[in-house]
Amino acid sequence: MASGKGGTGKTTVASSLAYLLHQRLKLVAVDADVDAPDLILALGGGEKLEERKIEASEKARVNDNLCNGCGACESTCVYGAIRVEDGIAKVYDFLCEGCGACSLVCPNGAIRIEPYVTGVLVAQRTRHRFVTITGRLRAGEHNSGKLVSAAKEMARERAKVEGAELLIVDAAPGIGCPVIASLSGASYVIAVAEPTPTSKRNLERLVAVARHFNVPVGLVLNKAELSSDYARKLEEWALFNLKVPILVELPVDYEAVRALANMKTPPELNPKARISVALRSLADRVEEIVGL
Amino acid sequence: MTFRLAVTGGKGGTGKTVVAVNLAAALSARGFKVLLADGDVDGPCTSILINAKLTESKPVKIFKPLIDRDLCKPCGSCAKVCREHALAFMEGAPPILFEELCSGCKACQIVCSYGAIKEDSKTIGFLHSAQAGPIRLKIGELNPGEARSPIVARELKLEVDEELKRGDYDVMIIDTSPGLHNAVVQALWGVDLALVVTEPTPLGLNDLFLILDLLSQLGIEAWVVLNRADIPGGIREKILEACRLRGIEVAVEVPYDEELFKAYVRGEPLIKSSIHTPARQALMDLASKVEARIKPSS
Repeated sequence: MASGKGGTGKTTVASSLAYLLHQRLKLVAVDADVDAPDLILALGGGEKLEERKIEASEKARVNDNLCNGCGACESTCVYGAIRVEDGIAKVYDFLCEGCGACSLVCPNGAIRIEPYVTGVLVAQRTRHRFVTITGRLRAGEHNSGKLVSAAKEMARERAKVEGAELLIVDAAPGIGCPVIASLSGASYVIAVAEPTPTSKRNLERLVAVARHFNVPVGLVLNKAELSSDYARKLEEWALFNLKVPILVELPVDYEAVRALANMKTPPELNPKARISVALRSLADRVEEIVGL
Repeated sequence: MTFRLAVTGGKGGTGKTVVAVNLAAALSARGFKVLLADGDVDGPCTSILINAKLTESKPVKIFKPLIDRDLCKPCGSCAKVCREHALAFMEGAPPILFEELCSGCKACQIVCSYGAIKEDSKTIGFLHSAQAGPIRLKIGELNPGEARSPIVARELKLEVDEELKRGDYDVMIIDTSPGLHNAVVQALWGVDLALVVTEPTPLGLNDLFLILDLLSQLGIEAWVVLNRADIPGGIREKILEACRLRGIEVAVEVPYDEELFKAYVRGEPLIKSSIHTPARQALMDLASKVEARIKPSS
């Protein structure tokens, strides 16, 4: 599940698909929106099975006794992450990419590059009995793509143990590093969009990334009836210009909000709600597409 | 001094860009000279929502090593220092570059004793300038397929700093990406105030805590904007209570409003519409609060 734009309904779709499909086959869900991981909330929480710290990045560390404040590091750093203040080089961890260029130019050998915990992975068993892996990025970190890859790796290990044949990955919004890591190796991408010009533009950018990595894409148009004219235009454009098929239109249904507030998926909270009916037809389509 | 304001939110799709463009339009209408920056480099959309015209675009380039095969010895020290594993070295031959992995840090060039690594460049995105009436826009855009959003966000901030030096701006408003990653930090760096846009769901609440933690680590004052405050089934009270317990000001609650959505699809700030609706009023109130914060005396 991906979408260039945020807040289009990825997590609602991912949690509902996981809930519906686990009744038919074995699966593991992965929350790859490591900045703002909410999938487990939408699924009603879970019992913790395992937690792993991930050192996906490195940071420059200055030995104050050796630093003479010459500033060679500052003028080398392309990220603006190291600055000489009060005669001593200071590293801004939020900006440091750990590339090591500063340590190479330091004439006094005052800088070392050290591993840094960028996030944690948690495996939980939901009350529906399937396992969800959640990645949590330490605030302000980079290399979230590596954390996503580690989350997917942990999910594959779990999948072996559980005998699962499907991974459902809820990606971050955007098209950058964590999204690329979410898409890489995927059999299929479900793009979730809304009938708005901003969502259209971001869908186009997402499809470009998916094409780049040779992953087929299908579209879920959420809240289609918010603007039926625009929805029709967007669907035609997606079909003819992007060659992306429409998997399902989801209605505007406040049962979806009530479901979130109750930490249940809409099909679980109210199977008869319009949104639940549409999500079940999506689950049928997905089952066909992935061929399980 | 230009007042620097960020609009952020942790969770995606809460209404950051809507708040940013409406605030820009409202403050501009009140006589403030406004610079609007779009730091959501993965999916920049301010220009669509404020109907801006692009005036100029320039590429964001990063360093890319160009290996001079005649000068290369080949010793392999460049491949050894590359922490992104973008250079592959096999005994007896110059290294091979995997362009997609290269972050442009120049470590390879620094370490090469033979001057065999020359400077080449690679375009990973663009910085656009645009204009919407009196409002100046600066937009960062990452090319699809590229991973390094923080570099584009940083280049945008440097460009914004230059523009602020040139123009006599009263306020700079920067719209950030969703999330907490370092492209968001780059956008937030050095701002005086952050508006955190959230929604009344457990997801909004969870991500609100995460972004408030980040802002407090960065030492940035935060105000919460509760968007779609009255959606049926929402958890408005829980959000308000959480903010109260943390001592965070809820600057405004924006009710759900069909007109706001229509203006969004039209690509025009609701503030500019002549229809008076509760959401429009809420956005006006927010502009007044921000105005009072910028100019405490007036």
